[in-house]
Amino acid sequence: MRKFLTHAGTGLALALCVSYGSIDAVRAETAVNVGLKAKDATALDPHLSTKSGDKPIFALLFNGLVRFKPGSMSPANLEPDLAESWEVSPDGKVWTFKLRKGVKFHHGYGELTADDVVYSLTRAGDPKRSSVSSDYSQFEKVEAVDPHTVRITLKTPVPSLLGLVANYHGGNIVSKKAAEELGEGFKQKPVGTGPFMFKDYKAKQGITLAANPDYFRGKPKIDKLDFKFVPSDSSRELAFKKGELDIFTGKREEKWVQRIGQDGDLTVDVFEPGELRTLHLNTKVKPLDDIRVRKAIAHALNRDDFIKLVGDSVTRKSWSPVPNGYLGHTGDLPKYEHDLDKAKALMKEAGHENGFKMNAIITKRSALLRPMQVIQAQLKKIGIDLELDVVEHSAFHAQIRKDLSPMVLYGAARFPVADTYLTQFYHGNSRVGTPTAVTNFNHCDMADAEIDNARKEPDAAKQKELWAAAQRKLMENVCSIPLFEQLQVWARRNSVDYGYTLEGALSLGPLFTEVSAKK
Amino acid sequence: MLRYTLKRLGSTIPTLIAVLTVIFVIIRIAPGDPAIAILGDNASQQAIDALRDRLGLNEPLLEQYWYFLTDALTGNLGNSLVSGRSVLNEVLEVLPHTLDLTIASIIIGVIVGIPVGILAAVYRNGPVDYVARITSLLGLSFPSFYTAILLILAFAIHFPWFPVISNANLSDPGDRLYNLVLPALSLGLIMVAYVARTTRASMIEALGADYIRTARAKGAPALVVIARHGFRNAIIPVITVIGLYLGILIGNSVIIEIVFNRPGLGKLIVGALEQRDYTMLQGLMVIYAFFIVLTNLVTDLAYGMSDPRVKYQ
Repeated sequence: MRKFLTHAGTGLALALCVSYGSIDAVRAETAVNVGLKAKDATALDPHLSTKSGDKPIFALLFNGLVRFKPGSMSPANLEPDLAESWEVSPDGKVWTFKLRKGVKFHHGYGELTADDVVYSLTRAGDPKRSSVSSDYSQFEKVEAVDPHTVRITLKTPVPSLLGLVANYHGGNIVSKKAAEELGEGFKQKPVGTGPFMFKDYKAKQGITLAANPDYFRGKPKIDKLDFKFVPSDSSRELAFKKGELDIFTGKREEKWVQRIGQDGDLTVDVFEPGELRTLHLNTKVKPLDDIRVRKAIAHALNRDDFIKLVGDSVTRKSWSPVPNGYLGHTGDLPKYEHDLDKAKALMKEAGHENGFKMNAIITKRSALLRPMQVIQAQLKKIGIDLELDVVEHSAFHAQIRKDLSPMVLYGAARFPVADTYLTQFYHGNSRVGTPTAVTNFNHCDMADAEIDNARKEPDAAKQKELWAAAQRKLMENVCSIPLFEQLQVWARRNSVDYGYTLEGALSLGPLFTEVSAKK
Repeated sequence: MLRYTLKRLGSTIPTLIAVLTVIFVIIRIAPGDPAIAILGDNASQQAIDALRDRLGLNEPLLEQYWYFLTDALTGNLGNSLVSGRSVLNEVLEVLPHTLDLTIASIIIGVIVGIPVGILAAVYRNGPVDYVARITSLLGLSFPSFYTAILLILAFAIHFPWFPVISNANLSDPGDRLYNLVLPALSLGLIMVAYVARTTRASMIEALGADYIRTARAKGAPALVVIARHGFRNAIIPVITVIGLYLGILIGNSVIIEIVFNRPGLGKLIVGALEQRDYTMLQGLMVIYAFFIVLTNLVTDLAYGMSDPRVKYQ
C-alpha cells in the first residue's frame, strides 16, 4: 500500500509537472483582432500601394533607416531605426548612414545589409516599380560603402531628406533577395524587418500577421494580429460590441465619437494627420480664370458649416494650402472670411451679377460628397448654380485627372513637410493633363520658383520663409480654398495598450510595437 | 432527355458570346481606371501609366477583345487585373460560401414555405390562412438587409449565439454551419414568403379542380387528396418560382454578404465593379450567365420529373 502511495504520489507530481510545463508552453496566445475599413488588400508593397487601408499594415512589416517616434508624426521627432547614426557633408549633398548590425529579415531571408537599402531606395525612385518615385527625383546615386554603410548622393541638397528614408512609403526597406526572388509575388508575400511578419492573406477576408521573434527591438508582446476587412461601418461596430474585434477604424464624425464613447469599455483615439479638404479652382477656365470670381467663391464659403457638418472634436478649420503641423506650414497669409455682401459685390464687378451655371464631378463617397453638397448650397447664395455629377470613387479620380472638373474637392494627408503638399498640388509640373501630372487641379504655377528654391535651400529658416512665401502667393491668387481638416478616428477596447500615447500616425492607423500589449 | 440537355447546353454558346461582348464594351465605356484603384489616390501619373502598360490596357481595344473572347471560350478566364490571381481560383475560393448560402436559403424556403402554403390553401380564409398571408406579406416587404440587421441585433448581440462577422472556415463543417445560420435565415425568410404565396395560390386552383371532387367522392383520405392529387398538380408554378429566385438570390446575397461580412460571389462582383477589374468582372459574368442558363435547364428538367405529361424534344 505504501509502495502504491509512493508510486501514485510520484505519478501525480509528474503529471502536474508535465501539465504545468505544457500550460506554460502553450501560454494563451495574445491575439488582437483589428477591423479595417477596407474591402481587400491587393498590393502589399509599400513602394506601390498608397491605399489608406494598406498603410497600417506596412507600418508593422517594414522599417526605414529612421522612424517617426511611435505615436507621433512630427518630422522633428525622427529617431534611428535601421540606421544607428548618420552624417551629412557640409554642402548637404552626401548623406552617410551606419546600419544597425544583426537585423534579420522575416522568413529566413537573411541579415539586412547595405545592398538591401540600396536596392529599396533605388526601387522607390523607379517610376515603373514605385508610386512615389517623384519624391526621389533629387537622388543622384545610392551606394553601399561597406555591408553596413550606405551613402546617398543628391543632385541638390534636400534638407528634409530624413523624411524620405523614414518608415513611410518609399522609405520602407524591403529584402532585396525576397523582392527579386518573388517578383510580382512580393506584393502578396511582403518581406521586411518589422515587429510583425506576414503570415496569411485571405482574399476579401483578412490578413494575419505574426510576431517577429527576431525583431531587433525584442519580440512583440502580442503574438498575432488578425486584420479583418470590414468595409461596412455598422458591421465593424457590431462586431466590436460582440467581442469579435479589439480595435477598429471609427467613423470620423463627432456624433459617432460621442455615441460610441458612452459604451464604457472602450477608448476612442482621435489623432493626426488631419486630412485637408481643399476646393481647387481651375484658374485657366472661364469664368474661374477671373480672380474676382475666385475671391467671390472664397468669401461665399462658410467654414463654420463644414465644422458643424462633421463636428468639432474631429475637425478644424483651415486657411492655408499646407495642413497644420506640417513642417513649413504658415498661418500668415490672406484669409477670405465668410462675407456674402463682399462675395456678391465681387460677382457683380466680374460681370456675373446674375450668377452662372457650372458643373463639377464628385465621388459618391460621403466624406467628399457631403461637404461638396454644402459648397453647392453656399454657392447658390451668390448665384452660382453648381451642378454635381456624382460618380463612383475610381471614376472620380480618373475623371479629375483628365481635367474634366473645373472645381475639384480633394482630401489628402501627405508626408508632413510643406514641400510634398506644395509640389503635388501647386507645382506647374504636377498639373493634371501633363505627362508629369500628379494632382495639381488648379493649374497654378506662380509659386514654382519658391517651391524649387525651398527644396534646395540648406538653411532651415530661409527654407521656411520660402515655403511661407509660396503659400502666400497661392492664396493671394486664390488657386484653391482650403476648408477644413478631418482627423483620424479609431476605437479600441481598454485592454489594448499601444505602449505609447497616440497623437499621430502617418500610417493612418495605430502602430503596434514590441511593447504594445493586450491585458 | 440527354439529347435535349446537350442541345440546350449548346444553344447557350451564342448567349454567352452576346453577354461577353456587352460586358466587355460596357465596362470599358464606364469611366474609371483599374490602375488608380490598385495604386491608390495619390499615385503619380508615371506609376499609373507604367501599370496600365503592364496590365495591357494600352493595347488596341479590338485586340483586347479578341484575346478575351478566344480565351473565355476555351475556358481560360485569365488573371484578375487587381490582385493578379487567377479569376477561376478567386471564384472557386468564394463559390462554396455562395453555394452554402443559396442552397440553405432554398431549403429553408421549401421546408417552411410549402407546408405553410398548403395549410393556407386547405384552411382557406381561416385563421391559419390569415396568419400565413400576413407573415408572408411582411416577409416580402422587409428588405433583406433590414431583416439581417434585426437578426444580428437579436441573435448575435442580445443573445450572443452567432457571430457578426461570418467568415467561416471551409474545412470545418460545424463552423460552416454555425456561420451560415443568420445569413441563411435572412435570405431564407424572403424565400419562405415567395414559396408560401405561390404554393397557396397554386393549391387553391388545384383543389378546386374536378378531379379533386372525384377523388373525394370515391372516398380517398383527405391527406391523399391533398398530397397526391392536389399538390402534385400544383407544384409546377412553385418550381418556376424557385428556379427564378435562384438567379435573383445571387443579387440579393450581395447585401447579405456585406452586412455579415461574408465572402461570396456577390461581393466579388461589386468589388470588381468598383475597382474596374475588367478581367475579373468579365470572368464573373461568364460564370454567372452560365449559372443562369444551367438553372433554367434544371428547372425545365424538374418539370418533367414532377409531371409525366411534360415531354422533351
